[in-house]
Amino acid sequence: MVEIKLKVNGKSYILEIEEDMRLLDLLREKLGLLGVKEGCSEGECGACTVIMDGKVVNSCLVMAFQAEGSSITTIEGLEKEGEIHPIQQAFIEVGAVQCGYCTPGMILSAKALLDKNPNPTEEEIREGISGNLCRCTGYNKIIQAVEKGKGV
Amino acid sequence: MQAYRGKTIEEVIQLLAKYKGKVIAGGTDLIIDLRNGKLTSDTLIDISSIEELRRVEEYDETINIGAATTFTQIIENPLFQENLYGLKRACNTVGSPQIRNKGTIGGNIANGSPAADSIPPLLCLDSIIVLESIKGKREIGLEDYYKDNISIKEDELIISVQFKKPDKGQILSFAKLGLRKALAISRLSIATLLELDENNKVKTIKIASGSLGRYPMREPIVEEFLLGRELTVDVTDKAVKVLQQVMGERLGGRSTLPYKRIAVERIFKEALGDGLKRLKGVEIW
Repeated sequence: MVEIKLKVNGKSYILEIEEDMRLLDLLREKLGLLGVKEGCSEGECGACTVIMDGKVVNSCLVMAFQAEGSSITTIEGLEKEGEIHPIQQAFIEVGAVQCGYCTPGMILSAKALLDKNPNPTEEEIREGISGNLCRCTGYNKIIQAVEKGKGV
Repeated sequence: MQAYRGKTIEEVIQLLAKYKGKVIAGGTDLIIDLRNGKLTSDTLIDISSIEELRRVEEYDETINIGAATTFTQIIENPLFQENLYGLKRACNTVGSPQIRNKGTIGGNIANGSPAADSIPPLLCLDSIIVLESIKGKREIGLEDYYKDNISIKEDELIISVQFKKPDKGQILSFAKLGLRKALAISRLSIATLLELDENNKVKTIKIASGSLGRYPMREPIVEEFLLGRELTVDVTDKAVKVLQQVMGERLGGRSTLPYKRIAVERIFKEALGDGLKRLKGVEIW
């Protein structure tokens, strides 16, 4: 076991973790943040996407011990004072959610993109979410939702 | 399993000498291999937070990229916007934003994949790798590293990859064939470093390929063919034939050869054409 300190959704934690644990396991099992989804476990699908120090990462491809000192945002961290984030609201309004499994990762990729580039072109949106696969609805509604979310 | 988070290069090479562990940086390949049992290790040594290994340094004549520098850092660095654009383009085709934010140039080298996207441009630049162990530092040519079967010793750490800055008139280009736009492993890739003389003849040409052999490599026979010639449509078509001949001998009997033999034409022309376009400001073919 090793001890690590990290910040998740603005809250500081000191945790005892197993050496072979991934960041994904830490978030789901130690902190109960079940909005972080496990999909392919090999960095292809993006369902486990979280924002780590301002950048999107696949949490299945980060060892938990490597997250020492980092600041992580999961989908649960987007809510502010009981209100969901404008990008989440846009996903609802546009109907960009079907089964919902890709949605947390998709929204976090969109958020990281908009934080860096508040007014992306459609091409840049497509590039920004290119590491997140949706197998239900296709990407048009998702792109519309990000477009809608960017103005807010 | 033991896990160490290295804070300095010195600490990491001591740990490597003691435990012969596996170095982890971005982890985007290593974690998959550990989990599916392709790789076993009792000790992981993380280098991803060592600042010295995570930066690009420009000197008068050379550029030094720390081994734990991520693809995103390279893409965002203004050094790679102009005549070194081919390296940026190659790094930009790696995986996805998530992978590029974590994956590192040193990892691309250490992993030894024939499809590693960043390697062909680095081969065109005659890059060298700097390695360090408790016995000291050592440098090897990137090309020799591959020819010599991925020759990093168990107790060695890749510190950086270095190359001489190309002259302003030399343009580095890159083209890749993947099966889709994002998250695609290269089916084949070509990088070129091109310079023309005042008569439009090829003054400098370096060509490197990815996935056209057991490892990424230079294509000296094609380089030799093009040197001193003008890049007309006819000359370029002939150069494609030379490359097809070379790869045919190398990949003989492989089921992917007939496909790659045809596909290589467009990728080779895209890389070379991109260089020409950047040199002359016009689209040639």
